[in-house]
Amino acid sequence: MKKWLSITLGIVTATGGFLDAGTIATSGESGARFGLGLIWACLIATVAIILLVEMMGRFSAISKKTYAEAIRENFGFKFYLLPLLSEVIAESILLAAEIGGIAIALSLMTGISWRILFPPAAFLVFAMAWRAPFDWIENAPALLGLVTLSFIVGIIALGGPSHQLLSTLWKPEVKQGELADYLYLVAATLGATISPYLLYFYSSGAREEHWTSNSLLLNRVTAIVGMSFGSLGSIALIFLGAMVLQPLNMQGSSLGELGLSMAKALGPFGALLFAVALFATCLGAALEVVLGVSYNIAQGFGWEWGEDKKPVEAARFNLVLIIFLLVAVAIGLMGIDPLQLALAGSTVIALFLPISLFPFLVLMNDPQYLRDKTNGRFSNIAIICILLIAFVVAFVSIPLEILSGGG
Amino acid sequence: MLRKRCAGPLLLVLLTVTGCQLTQSAFSRTVGNAGAVFSAASTTLSYAHEGKITSAYAQASFVNYQSELDGLDQQLPSQQGAPDKRTVQHLLDLYRPAIQAALNRASQAFLMAGG
Repeated sequence: MKKWLSITLGIVTATGGFLDAGTIATSGESGARFGLGLIWACLIATVAIILLVEMMGRFSAISKKTYAEAIRENFGFKFYLLPLLSEVIAESILLAAEIGGIAIALSLMTGISWRILFPPAAFLVFAMAWRAPFDWIENAPALLGLVTLSFIVGIIALGGPSHQLLSTLWKPEVKQGELADYLYLVAATLGATISPYLLYFYSSGAREEHWTSNSLLLNRVTAIVGMSFGSLGSIALIFLGAMVLQPLNMQGSSLGELGLSMAKALGPFGALLFAVALFATCLGAALEVVLGVSYNIAQGFGWEWGEDKKPVEAARFNLVLIIFLLVAVAIGLMGIDPLQLALAGSTVIALFLPISLFPFLVLMNDPQYLRDKTNGRFSNIAIICILLIAFVVAFVSIPLEILSGGG
Repeated sequence: MLRKRCAGPLLLVLLTVTGCQLTQSAFSRTVGNAGAVFSAASTTLSYAHEGKITSAYAQASFVNYQSELDGLDQQLPSQQGAPDKRTVQHLLDLYRPAIQAALNRASQAFLMAGG
């Protein structure tokens, strides 16, 4: 009974915790600008994250090591600094976006400017990351994040997509001069979903919860069922953007704008649901990002770490957490719109994905860590292909965006 | 064999070098974005009148719209791909009253309604 309860909780948290500022920004803007023409990228990203999360859980459950510990042990300290550096650059932008997302959600509920609410939002993240036990951090925002499923209700209330819109699923409408924007959004969609912070967090979470080989079923069900359900929220946002924002010539360039589609479907309650979903998903993601990076650094440098330990018992881990938060706050206080930050952060992540995940593919094929549970050929090929797509698209789209004065 | 090996990087270089053909000019992009923001502002205003969103929601949205449109009159004339001065001036003539009358007034009305 206890086993099934934990499996249910795993599915629920994966479902509620799937979205973040990056996925909300990319999904909303994708729908508003290209109809359903970017759902394919969302589906590819979902398959990739299912494979990666399943592998990461399996790795930590069998080897009893986290990803960062294994990189350092297997590749040496100098090599470890490479994925760490890429992680710190990309995730600091993303953390600023997540905190900004929380501030905007609160702003949409209260009417107070998000810039005023940014410092309190950062403090909320700090307070939870500093003192809350691991299961609170993992479960509370994710449970609240289940309101993202109301996006599906919104689509039904609007009467579903038209046949004309459905045809953009396999025939995207990319107008002349918009190819760079389209590619940029493909890269951002892949980067937003396949975020390495999630893997560092998941791997550390498996150790925090003392997973063993008996946890493999829980891991597999959480990855496959939870992530699949979670991606429904992301796909629903693309539909809402395409159904409501695109016909009005809106581009989904601010988070409040994206909530208008829910307002059209369900009135003020729909707008409130959007704001609550934004708050919960950004809070959950902000905690995962700040902890993911802190875990990464503490484990790589061989320091004491653990969310369930008192700050004094893992002092350097907690110091990293504070410094990383301060860096993100400094980026956020520059006044850049969080949605633009989220898009930029997601694209930078896509660019760095091969660096972040190359060691993982090597480790997943090492029987010293995984005994008889190493990767099969299909998993390896699938992940390599997806990483290459993300890298190539990001590599092409970033210069194009800069050349055109965007990005 | 060599041709196959070179094809990928060559395509990347070509795509990057010919970037101007695959993207809009900075002017077109800015004008397009501004049009989309005006459309969002107009929709927000009508949803607020129809009671589909709260005044707090509208107020927060207008702060964002305003910051997205701020400084457009200074950016437009100097941007790459800008058409003749007359066309730009025509757009600015439409922009200035729109931002002053619509956005400022709406923003202030919502601020007052919110206390």
